[in-house]
Parts: sequence; structure tokens; C-alpha cells
Amino acid sequence: MIKLKIDNLTVEVQPGTSVWQAAQSIGIDISTICYLEGTEHFTSCMICLVKDAKNGRLFASCSTPVFEGQDIITNDEETTESRKAALELLLSEHVGDCEAPCQLVCPAHMNIPLMNRLIAKGDFAKALEVVKRDIALPSILGHICPAPCEAGCRRKQVDEAVSICMLKRYVGEEDLKSGNPWQPLLAEPSGKKVAIIGSGPAGLAAAYYLQQKGHQSVIFEKGNRAGGELLQIDPEILPVEVVRQEIATITAIGIQIRLNETIDNVRFALLQKDFDAVVVATGTITEGSEDFGLKTTKTGFVADKNSYWTSIPNVFAVGNALRASKLTVRSVGQGKEVATVIDAYLKRGEVSAYPERFNSKFGRLAEAEFIQYQKDSETTSRQKAGKEGFTREAAIIEAKCCMHCDCRNPESCVLRELSDRYHAIQKRFQSDERLNVEKFIYREGIVYEPTKCIKCGICVRLTRQLQEEFGFTFIGRGFDVKVGVPFNESVQKGLEKTAVIVARECPTGALAMFSQEEQL
Amino acid sequence: MNEENNIQHTVDQIIADKGTATRVVIPILQAIQHAFHYLPEEALKYVCEKTEITPEQIVGVASFYSQFRMQPVGEHIIKVCVGTACHVKGAGQVYDAFRRHFNLTGKEETDATRKYTIEKVSCLGCCTLAPVVQIDEITYGHVASDKVGNVLADFEKHAGITGTKKVIFRNVDGSEIQGEIRLGLGSCCVASGSEDVKKAVEETLANTGIKISLKNVGCVGMCHQVPLVEIIPLNEKPTLYAKVKPADIEGIIANHFKPLGTFSMLKNSVYKFFESVQTDTVWDGVKQYSIDAREKQVSDFLDRQIPIATQYRGIINPLDIEEYKRHEGFVAMKTCLTELSSEAIIQTIKDSGLRGRGGAGFPTGLKWSLVAENKSDIKYLICNGDEGDPGAFMDRMLLESYPFRVIEGAVIAAKAVGATQGFFYIRAEYPLAVKRIRQALIYCRENNYLGEDILGSGFSFDITIYEGAGAFVCGEETALMESIEGQRGFPKIRPPFPAVSGLWKQPTLINNTETFAQVSYIIREGSGKFSSIGHGKSKGTKVFALAGKINRGGLIEVPMGITVRQIVEEIGGGIQNGKKFKAVQIGGPSGGCVPYQLYDTPIDYESLLEVGAMMGSGGLVVLDEDDCMVDIARFFLSFTQNESCGKCTFCRIGTKRMLDILTKITTGKGTLKDLDELEYLASWTKKGSLCGLGKSAPNPILSTLKYFREEYIAHINGKCPSGKCQDLIKYQINDLCIGCTKCAQKCPTDAILFKPHEKHEVITDLCIKCDACRQVCPVDAVEIV
Repeated sequence: MIKLKIDNLTVEVQPGTSVWQAAQSIGIDISTICYLEGTEHFTSCMICLVKDAKNGRLFASCSTPVFEGQDIITNDEETTESRKAALELLLSEHVGDCEAPCQLVCPAHMNIPLMNRLIAKGDFAKALEVVKRDIALPSILGHICPAPCEAGCRRKQVDEAVSICMLKRYVGEEDLKSGNPWQPLLAEPSGKKVAIIGSGPAGLAAAYYLQQKGHQSVIFEKGNRAGGELLQIDPEILPVEVVRQEIATITAIGIQIRLNETIDNVRFALLQKDFDAVVVATGTITEGSEDFGLKTTKTGFVADKNSYWTSIPNVFAVGNALRASKLTVRSVGQGKEVATVIDAYLKRGEVSAYPERFNSKFGRLAEAEFIQYQKDSETTSRQKAGKEGFTREAAIIEAKCCMHCDCRNPESCVLRELSDRYHAIQKRFQSDERLNVEKFIYREGIVYEPTKCIKCGICVRLTRQLQEEFGFTFIGRGFDVKVGVPFNESVQKGLEKTAVIVARECPTGALAMFSQEEQL
Repeated sequence: MNEENNIQHTVDQIIADKGTATRVVIPILQAIQHAFHYLPEEALKYVCEKTEITPEQIVGVASFYSQFRMQPVGEHIIKVCVGTACHVKGAGQVYDAFRRHFNLTGKEETDATRKYTIEKVSCLGCCTLAPVVQIDEITYGHVASDKVGNVLADFEKHAGITGTKKVIFRNVDGSEIQGEIRLGLGSCCVASGSEDVKKAVEETLANTGIKISLKNVGCVGMCHQVPLVEIIPLNEKPTLYAKVKPADIEGIIANHFKPLGTFSMLKNSVYKFFESVQTDTVWDGVKQYSIDAREKQVSDFLDRQIPIATQYRGIINPLDIEEYKRHEGFVAMKTCLTELSSEAIIQTIKDSGLRGRGGAGFPTGLKWSLVAENKSDIKYLICNGDEGDPGAFMDRMLLESYPFRVIEGAVIAAKAVGATQGFFYIRAEYPLAVKRIRQALIYCRENNYLGEDILGSGFSFDITIYEGAGAFVCGEETALMESIEGQRGFPKIRPPFPAVSGLWKQPTLINNTETFAQVSYIIREGSGKFSSIGHGKSKGTKVFALAGKINRGGLIEVPMGITVRQIVEEIGGGIQNGKKFKAVQIGGPSGGCVPYQLYDTPIDYESLLEVGAMMGSGGLVVLDEDDCMVDIARFFLSFTQNESCGKCTFCRIGTKRMLDILTKITTGKGTLKDLDELEYLASWTKKGSLCGLGKSAPNPILSTLKYFREEYIAHINGKCPSGKCQDLIKYQINDLCIGCTKCAQKCPTDAILFKPHEKHEVITDLCIKCDACRQVCPVDAVEIV
């Protein structure tokens, strides 16, 4: 047995064990991308660098065997920086989007491509569930949203943007019309109570998601109807019935609404004591609005823009109360986000920013890429949605135009996870040129996007080990090295026996199964 | 026979010759390329059918090594050398001129008629003739960008008629280069009558038809000996004559360039001289015949040198085994095989202080003892002759000129460590070295210096040649071994070290060519004699390739501890054309620049590391005031980026991103923040890379940033102080213009209008900065601003 120290813990392992395995055996998880147990180590990603405390040298832990008396540091400032540097280098040539531009543009960060794909399959019920993860009021927004997402839609560059907003409206209204609208599963009651002042879009959304997380939500509305600023919109644009039905549907999960209750500074102080948290969603401030003792500017209440936390403990503010905006979807999005922040606050006792995940992105398509992206869509004769919205058939056709800009591996991608963990900045070392995206798509099988490949060689090692006839190989060398199938054979042919296993082990979204959905 | 059958037939023959094992993939590919001039996909697929080689392996390997071409090529290959010495002398402009000549656009490398394919090569090893271009087997030296047409015309003239297979050197005007005469034209020289001497030289050349160029040089510093004439036969030892009178000239020239009288040695000498022009680097075999002591040879290139690896330089014929034996050849080997124990040999090497000459300087004796300690029935020995530094050719010269000495050193090492089988890994670009070693191995076997029971000692050992296929990274030992095993040259993490688990997982000793070349001397002369030479922890001598902006370039073997100044000023004869010394680049892509303020730095492993350079393989490229240090850093980065194996993140992407930033800076788009990012990347690429290539790749940046930071800042401010970076300069014609129209005639883009007898002008928007006008101007009226 060999005895060594890792992060000051003593460990004893068999000779021949790698430093990485030794660390693993005592619960120290060293980040790595290219290492895959069961295959020969390759030492390419260099994420797993650790430090020899005796000489200060960094080395790859995945492939270095232990020796007696070693003293290893895995998590000091320098090793952390080394991982960040390696990730930033990998990201600088990683051409691909974790999330689609439409989703990134959407103020509520709705998973639009997933909704589109479910509609394309005719699964409207699932599509609604996906919509309602982020948007509490889809039918209402379907009438009034200016759809910034469609400005971000890549399809716009090819011909015309996907009618995302109308698709969402169709999904929402079909659900309302069913007479038995879908309702989310609720978490066990937490015993915590949250007061929400105002029943406009922000307040409703906050209440909806807080209630789902098990916190009793109570909305205080000074008027005699719920809806806030929604009620001032021309019924020709936003039918009153849609507003009524959709609010009724979401509040039906147990949200209490107290109408005709005006909250002044005195009652506000009481709410603060009686409730575990208070959300100020009172809409655009006017002269004579109560200030609840909060810091205000001309535009509205002052709150941290990442956590919505005001200057007072347990009080948060969202929506037009912060800044007047016609963008209802933003208020709805903020309602969702503040619910997440408050949930964490109620559980842990401290406020932290709404978690923003790392997103790889590469911007506009080059013209040569149009055809690559269209491979992922099926375009037949598109029909515009009229005033009445889409028909079922037209909605399916429209949804099929979506080009699947989002990655197929947004959850399992190790590159994304680590970039998140080490706060890597993708643009740091990027040069002006980038490679054009190529998509090799086999609808019954696998999809290969070489520009997402980080050359870890896992697929090369696996196909060799499993004796594929062609397999994958490294082609060329240096920065320009590619991973591909020998003799320009098809990807399908390269992975005849191993497509599923190789797609599963690919640490990025370079290789994935065609119909794979990780966010369903 | 149709094409497919033809391919299959050829491949069948190749396989019959090379075998079917996975490890012979590179020799098979080399044979296929030899047959078809590229690798037809059909042939590769057929190999996979008939051997154990898989598609994954063959495509991976074929695309890794730069020797292999996947596309058919033109009838003739034009190789433009872009090694360090050629780079600083304008190789980039020469390459561009060829492309313009053939109207090549984009990535196209073959002209429309499919007659010529043009490619860059990292070093042809002819650094003293820079810039160098090779078309098929004919090498042209001193090629200027406006001489491309002449070169091609000459090539076509000779290619059609001679059909020669010999590599020969030619001037751009088609004449064979026999050498050069340099005449001092410093003010002292002129005052002492050098103009008359010049006339005498011109007359003699005209009368005899000897093809040597007359070059005027500035003051060489020995003003008390004027006038000075220096005779430099091609790649031979230069000789300096002092106080020359016009009447002496004919004798001096005849002495070097044509047979005199009927000496018995003479024919041999002349024959050997012409053999020596086959390559730039062959110094061997040329007998010195100083016939007349009237000539006052006062000083020369060799004075400060100590030949150990190059012992008997200019005296022994490389492949004459009897001659080598007459000059103490194989004496050390016999002693080791018959009298000394392994331990005793290793102790001697340890005592000598010999350290690896490949660059890192690991103590050789210690390495040998580590291999010797490992008990195994099979042990390998590898001689690393994969010299890839684009400004170095020491290994080539040693293998070509002293094949027996290198083999002798290897056999001694084999005995010391108990190796059973040896490999000489020789770079593909060195065909003559391969040929010489192959022949030398045959002679050794015939003499029982190799093979079973060598000299009745009971020790058996043999050596196989392995030809590299063009990958700088294969100079790294783990990559080299992967290559011998038939894989892509991906380095591996150490440990395990080769001494424990090397080639085919057996204990392996791997040493550089030069290291082996020094072994027999140490054994014969004793460790003390060797260790008495040198400086600090660096003992003995080191061979360097001296090139760049220097008066006397060439190969030199000097004691460790000699200073940069001594090499440049005393051996190299100072800077060309009276320019100022700026820096010397030591160690190529792994090394750094030693600036003027460190001119007296002793050359040894530790001192070089201290100043941010590295011994590396031993390339010394001298830079003068006209060289841009940012451009030099960029040159090396583009080399390492190209040669990175592409495995580990820091080297694969780090070198590319550093190159991106350097390109930004040299095109005037850099910012001060870019310098910080450059330093950050340099530091992480150094710390985080897997192998020596990546770990040392940032050195050219770090050392230039350290000593020439102001040049980086000048570029950021939009100015290239040396006028090298094309995007930051403009060509202008000043009032010295005499209206001769030469520049207008030469300009390939009509950026200079034809205006006889008037001052010409450069239209900046049309100018492509090819430098042709400046080179052709008779009155230096074209200037770079």
C-alpha cells in the first residue's frame, strides 16, 4: 500500500492507483472532462490539475500514479485558477449554444425550443407544463406579449421567425378551454407564509411559484378584482374572459386572494411581522403611493436586481413597482425569479442572487450555417396565425420550423457544469474568427456537431475499445485537430455498434441521440 | 492495368516488404507516398483490408505527420524554407512571390497547370544560404522575392536536360555556388588599397570562370591587418587572409577553388569538395591543403572551438570505417565491451558531468543508471535524431558526417544499460543522414561492431533505423516512442519514465544524437579531461548551428561557458553589413532571446535558464537592429502552434490564442490589456501543458516581453520600430530617386507608375509590401516608414 496526503487527509491506496482515484476514495472529487473510468487515460483536458505541495508543480491527477509520501493540494487558489483558465480556453473554440437565443432573450427565460418540439409532436399537454415552468400566465401573454423571443429567433435570419408567442397562446388557451386545466404538483407545505401586495402579473406569478414550493401565498389586492394593470388593457386585445379564467386557474392551487385590502405603512409593518416574507408587487408607483418605508427613486422601489431584495430584511419587490414597463412578460418572469430567491431564503435564512447558469453562445448564424440549422427542422407550408390564433394543424407545422438551436445535452454537459462552477468567461480568449457550425443528423439515431467537440478523445477510445469497424479518430493535429470518422464515412457508419454508449459518454453536446430531451 | 489494380498491386508489394503489424503503419505510408507522391484513399483502405492496421489508426497517423499528403500534387514541389534564419531574411516575401507568380489564391497550393506545388517547410537545414528554396532536388540559396521568375526559369532549364538526382546548390542566376569571397571595405581597408584587390578578384573570376560571389563587407575589426580577404568555400572552413596584395589574389583563389599541381591527395580533395556541395551541412571529407605558407592565415572560425563530437572534423571521410579506426575509432567501444563493467562505464559518464544535449540537460550517467537498474530481458535504446528546431541542424551534421562515432556511442550505452535492441529515429527531412547511417550500420555489422557477440565479448546488440514523418513534437521522448509504435505522436504523462516503461512498455534508454557522439571521447580520454572543459554544472562542449545576421555562420562546437559575445564576435565575425547586434535567439521555439545587455552571458544550461532562454537543441540565430522582436515571437508561436500535437488544452488552444494576440499586436490592433492576457496565457501554458513542447512554447514570448517590452508597446501605438510588420509600415520613395524605372518594372501590382527620369511614387493602396522595389533600387531611394 502507498500512503500519501491529499488536502491534508491521509490516504492509503494500492500501488498504480492514480492520484485522481486516490482522492475519489476519500470523497474528494477532482473535476475532469476527458477521464472516463474503464478507458485508458488520455490526459487532454487538463482540468484535473493538482499541485505537488513539495515543489509547487501542477500535474494531471487522472493519469499520474501515486507515490509514497506525496503531499497533494487539489483546491487552492492556483489549482482553481488553472481549471478556470483551461475551461476558458476550451470555451474559446466551443461554437454552440447551451440554450437557444430565443430562450436567452425571453425575459421569463421560457424553454421555448422544448415547447416547440412538444407541439411538433402533438403533445400539447406536456408543452403546457413546460411553458408553465416559467410563465404563469401563458394565455394572457399570448395576447399581449411583444414577443422579444421572436427577435432572437434564428429562423428569422433564414426566412421568418417561429411564431413563438402564438404557439404559447395556443397551448395556454387549449388548456383553459379543456375545462379541466392542468395543475402543477405542489410541494409539502413548509409552514411558511408569504404576503404578496398586488395581484398584477408580477404578484400573481410570485404567488403561483411560491405556492408550488409549499409556501402559503396570500395576495392583498386593493381593488375588487385580481389582475392589476392587466385590467386596464383594451378587451379587444386581451379578452376579459381570458384574464378571468387564467387567474382563476392559477390561484386554484391554494393561493389566497384578499380583495379590497389596501396596505398602508401601518399594515405593511404588521405584514412584515405576521408573514415570513413580503413581496411588493404594487405596480407602477404614482404620486401618493405608499412607500412602506422602503428606499425609492423616481422610477420605483430600490431592490437588488439579482435577488429583488429591498433595503429591508424579508421584503422583496418585483414588477412595475421597480420600474414601469409595458413588458408584462418581464413582470411575470420576475415573479418566478423572486419565488426562487424567497424559497432559498426561507430554507437557508439568507438571501442570494437568482442563480444564473453558464450559457455558451455564439451569436448570429453565418449564411453557410442556415442549411445546417434547417436540417433540424421540417418545413412544409407555414400558415400565419390570424386573430383567432393557430389551428392545431397550423401550430404543429409552425412548431416544426424550430431549428433546435438549443443543445441536446444542456444538463449532462460537463463543460457547462464546470464553467458554471468555476465562473469561466467564454469570451475571454475568443478570437474574431469562429468555425462554422455543422450538424450531422441521423433522425433515427445520432447527431454530431463537431464545433462543440473539445477533443477529449473519449469517443475515439470507446470506439477503439469496442472494436467499431470505422469508429472515430483524430484527424490532423494542433489547434486544427478534428475528431471524425475515418475516410469521411458517415457518423452513423462510424458508430454502428456504439452510438448509444458514445452519445452517453460525450462530455459535451457534440454527440447526442437525435430525440434526446434532458429538460423534459 | 487499371488504376485500382495498380494501387492494389503496389500496396501488396509494400506490405510484403514491410509486414502487416500495426507498428509498421508509418513505413507503409512512407512507401505508398514514395510510389504515388501522395496517399490515395484507395490505397489506405486497401492497407486496412490486408493488415492489422485499422481505419482509425491509419487516418489518425496519416493526418498527424506533415510529411504525408492526402491530395495529389503537381509535377514539381517547390519548398520554401521558413526556418528561423530564412524567416529573418525575408522567406515570407519569397513565399508570397511564388504564390503571386502562380496566381494562387485561398488555400490552393498547386498551380492551374498542375505543374508546381508550393509548400512551406520548417527548415531545410541550409541556414547559411538563407533564404532558401528547394525545387525537387535543386536547392537555391539567397533567393530574393523579385528573383522568383529567374529561379523557375533556371529550374526549367535544368530539370529538362539534366535529370540529375544529386542535390545541388545554385545561385538565383543559375550559376552553381562554389563559395564566396569577402573583401573588407571598411574605411581602413579602403585606405590600405582594397579597391585594387577588388579589381584583382574580379579579373581572376572572369579569367577562370570560377563561380564565386564577391561580397563587400564592412569593417571586421581587425584594422591592423588590412586589407582583409576572407574566402568561404561553400560550407567549408572560411579562411581569412591579412595584408593581401593584388598579386596574391590569383594564388589565394586557386588555392580554394581549383586544383593546383599534381598532389596525390588532390583528386580526392576535389571530388570530396563537390560531394560536399550536395548539402549545406556536410563539412566532412574536405582535406585541408594549405600548400603555401606564404599566405598569412591569421585567424579563423575554428580558433575558439573544441571538437569532441566533431573530432577530426575535415579529416575523416564519413563512411570510411578504416579511416575512422585510424583516428581512434571504436577504441572506446572495445574497452567498454572487453574491459569495463557496466557500472564502471556508467561511473565514468557520471564523473564526466555529461548532460543530455537534447535541451533539458538531464545528467546522462544518472539516466543510464536508472535504465541499468531495471531488470528486464528486453531493453531498448533509442538515438533521438528528430531534430525539429527550425534553425538547427547539428544532429543532421553529426549523423551525416560522423555516423560511426554516433553508433559507437550508442553501442557503449547499450552495453552500460544492458539494451538488447537499438533504434535510430531520424527526421524524415534528412535523407542523406538516413542513407549514411544505413550504410554505416552495414559496415559495422560486417566488422562485427554490431550484431551477435560483438568482438567476441559476448554482448549482442543491433540497431534499426526508424524514419520520422515530420512532427516536431516527436523530439519529445514519449511522443517519439508512440511514433515508433505506429501511433500519432501524442506525448504521454511521465511517470512512468522511459527508463521504467518505455518503448513497448520495456525499459528504454533514449538519448540525443549529440550525447552519443560525445561518449567515445569521454571513455577514451577519461572523464576528467571532459569535465575540465566547461563551466559550472555544464561540462564539455556543445554543438551549435550559428546563423542569422552574422558574417560567418555555420556549425560550431564550443566549450560550455563561452559567452554569447565570443560566439557572435569572434567565431561569427560580428554582424553583417555593419549593423548593430540586437539579440541572439537560443534554443529555437523552446528558447528565448538574449539581448545586448546580456551579451556576456555564458552559454551553459543554468545561465541560459536564468536569462529566460534555454539550451534547447542548439540553434543560435543572431538578430540585428532590423529584426522586430514581436515578429520573432510571433514566428515561433506560429511554429509551435502548427507543431502542437493537439492533445492537451493549454498547448493546443493556448498557443493558438497567444498567436492570435501576437497577430493582433503585429497588425496594430493590440491593446495594453492584450499584453496582460498574453502574459497570463504564457504563464498558464507553461505551467499547465502536458509535455515539454507546450511548457516551453511561451519562452519566446516571455523573453521578448522581458527584454523588449517597449517594442510591444510601440506596436500597440501603431508603430513597428524595425519596419518589419507589414500592416504597420508604408513604402515611400525619397528624393534620392534618379528615375531609373527599375522599381516600376519590378512592382507586381503597378503600385509604382513608370515615369522615366522623374521621381517615382508608391501608391500605398496598391502596394502589397513585397519589398521588390527596395531590393532593386540602385540608389537606396525606397524606404520603409
